[in-house]
Amino acid sequence: MHIPDGFVPPSICIAGYAITGGVTWYSLQQIKKDSNPQKKIPRASLFTAAFFVASLIHIPLPPASIHLVLNGMMGAILGYYSFLAILIGLFFQTVMFQHGGLSTLGINAVIMGIPALFAYHIFHFNNRSNTRKKIWTQVLAFCAGAGSLILSATLFTVIIITNITSELDAQTEINAIYLSLISYVIQAIIEGAFTVMLISFLEQVKPEILRQ
Amino acid sequence: MKELTRSSRLIKLQTPAVTISNLGFAYTESKNTLTDINLQISAGESVGLIGANGAGKTTLFLTICGILTPTYGEIKLFEKLVQPGIFNPDIGLVFQNPDDQLLCPRVRDDIAFGPENMGLSAEEVDKRVCVALSFTGISHLIDRVPHHLSGGEKCMVAIASVLAMLPQIILYDEPSANLDLRARRRLIKFLQTAPETTIISSHDLEMLLEVCDRVILLNQGRIVADGIPQNIMSDRILMEANGLEVPHSLTHHH
Amino acid sequence: MRLIIDRYAYLDSLIHRWQQKYKLVGLISLIFAFSFVQKITLLPVIVVITTVIFCLSNLPLSFLLSRLRYPGWFILAVVILLPFVAGDTIIFQWGWLTLKEEGCWTSILISVRFFCILTISLVLFGTAPFLTSIKAMRSLGLPQVIVDMTLLAYRYLEELGNMLTTMQRAIRLRGFRYQQFSRRNLKILAQLTGSLLVRSYERSNKVYQAMILRGYGYKIPQIDRQQKNRLSQLDKLNFLATSATVIIAISLTIAEILLPAN
Repeated sequence: MHIPDGFVPPSICIAGYAITGGVTWYSLQQIKKDSNPQKKIPRASLFTAAFFVASLIHIPLPPASIHLVLNGMMGAILGYYSFLAILIGLFFQTVMFQHGGLSTLGINAVIMGIPALFAYHIFHFNNRSNTRKKIWTQVLAFCAGAGSLILSATLFTVIIITNITSELDAQTEINAIYLSLISYVIQAIIEGAFTVMLISFLEQVKPEILRQ
Repeated sequence: MKELTRSSRLIKLQTPAVTISNLGFAYTESKNTLTDINLQISAGESVGLIGANGAGKTTLFLTICGILTPTYGEIKLFEKLVQPGIFNPDIGLVFQNPDDQLLCPRVRDDIAFGPENMGLSAEEVDKRVCVALSFTGISHLIDRVPHHLSGGEKCMVAIASVLAMLPQIILYDEPSANLDLRARRRLIKFLQTAPETTIISSHDLEMLLEVCDRVILLNQGRIVADGIPQNIMSDRILMEANGLEVPHSLTHHH
Repeated sequence: MRLIIDRYAYLDSLIHRWQQKYKLVGLISLIFAFSFVQKITLLPVIVVITTVIFCLSNLPLSFLLSRLRYPGWFILAVVILLPFVAGDTIIFQWGWLTLKEEGCWTSILISVRFFCILTISLVLFGTAPFLTSIKAMRSLGLPQVIVDMTLLAYRYLEELGNMLTTMQRAIRLRGFRYQQFSRRNLKILAQLTGSLLVRSYERSNKVYQAMILRGYGYKIPQIDRQQKNRLSQLDKLNFLATSATVIIAISLTIAEILLPAN
């Protein structure tokens, strides 16, 4: 779900970088408000590396297999660091695997990172009181995982299909968007279920990871 | 479990458990990690594998259990050819770092993981979990979270999780690394009574002296010596030529 | 995983000698100019520029080809699909299948642009050690928090990658089969990911303590860095190479605006 170099017009690339710049600045401001930001940097960095590595795990879905995106999960446990973590992860992917691209790094960070911030707010909704019921946590975890994937997929598909060429007529574009989204729904359900399982594992083993 | 395997051990005493003929392995084309390994280990034997870091001990283990495909040569377990990538519950590997092995939120689930993959019934799985736990002396840990245990406890859980598959051959990769004295002593007692065919790779030569009846010295992917532990480990010239030292207990005898 | 990109970082060539900070400025402006190109007439120009830069870099062609493997199916699918769906001018019809001229041109435009940008990015990051590139970005004003996170994450990529490989081996040895999709398998993979996260978390606490004990977070290093910046001189090669690429990039953009539509 990364836009490669050369696929979208420069206006999109520049807009992508502008939005990424803005969100990065905002995230850094939020991080500075933290009582001890120094302490969280090693944590966020290792999670960045861990999520990068975890995205290499493939889930068998015969006859093919899918890779997990996990941006919802990143949002849930990294908060405002998640946008930075995703930006860095995408940069690694571009440089090491030629996934995505340098000119499209900004727009790709928007596609992956803004849904992560959305997942952060969804998952930590009403989390301050320790009275939150288990089922409620599971529902929110599912929404964070599946929702952020759907959001990313929608952004990606709409940007690609409306921008790749001016020659497509409007109806074809809309059809193509719907068609692509259907296949992403399955992935979103898997991603949501995976997020629920992952959160429940962490609840049992290391709950402090989930408390900000 | 113990009685069962002990009686079969008597019968199998002369049958080869592991037969390695002319084995070689290379990670990259330029350099061999293992070269011309020939080795036969009888059922019930307890063999120590020693050698400096990078001698090829872990690589040898990974080829024996079919994780890595040999570049040439073949490995047989109980006269059956090892097929890389195919699950074989007859052989178990206890990893050097128990954290690599433990992944479930409860000790019970972790030990049940192997038997469940073997397709056993729920009752059989439960039975195996209990037996493996009592055999390793950690029945009280059944409901704990593996990630919260001490190093020694984790080590025993990792061993139990392999034992539950009732393997005939168990490979131990540095089992005593990072253990405190008491945990190490408990491990030694356990290994001394373990009925399976075992190969233990370790830098803890004193432990191997207590546990093994045979030791193999590896250097740069080749077998340099193979024999009785006391004889090999007390040979100062041999040991030092291969980056090792004569263990303290053997220097005192002279 | 991380060392592949550094494989040819220590060769000697004009591009290798070009200081990474200025190389970043020059080649990134070129990349943006390339992505600006919409006119078919400019395609041969960017191909020539790319070829010249690649040849100057002394990187082996096999390295480029091996890197092209990754981007893969998505691009191929789009490039093959477009000629059949986009445009009005039919150049070939076979049953319901129609090949359209505009679609063909768009496909060519996209693939050439993609290929050229990818090659330039490879030259940019393949001709200097990755750590040097990150340090160069810091001197160009990347925020300290992002630089620290990038360096630390990069440091632990390989280690965590090995950790995952070992854990996957361990579950395979206990009979886990990857090929099937089931609720149980999904749960096991979630636990695998969870264990990786827990171990990273525990490690990060130790890393933090070790960093604090060696003075992380004190402001002194900032002064050091500024001095270093002042010392780095803009010599002749750096000046020429950087200004040349920036001028080329600007001319390309101007040409794109001034040239008549296709």
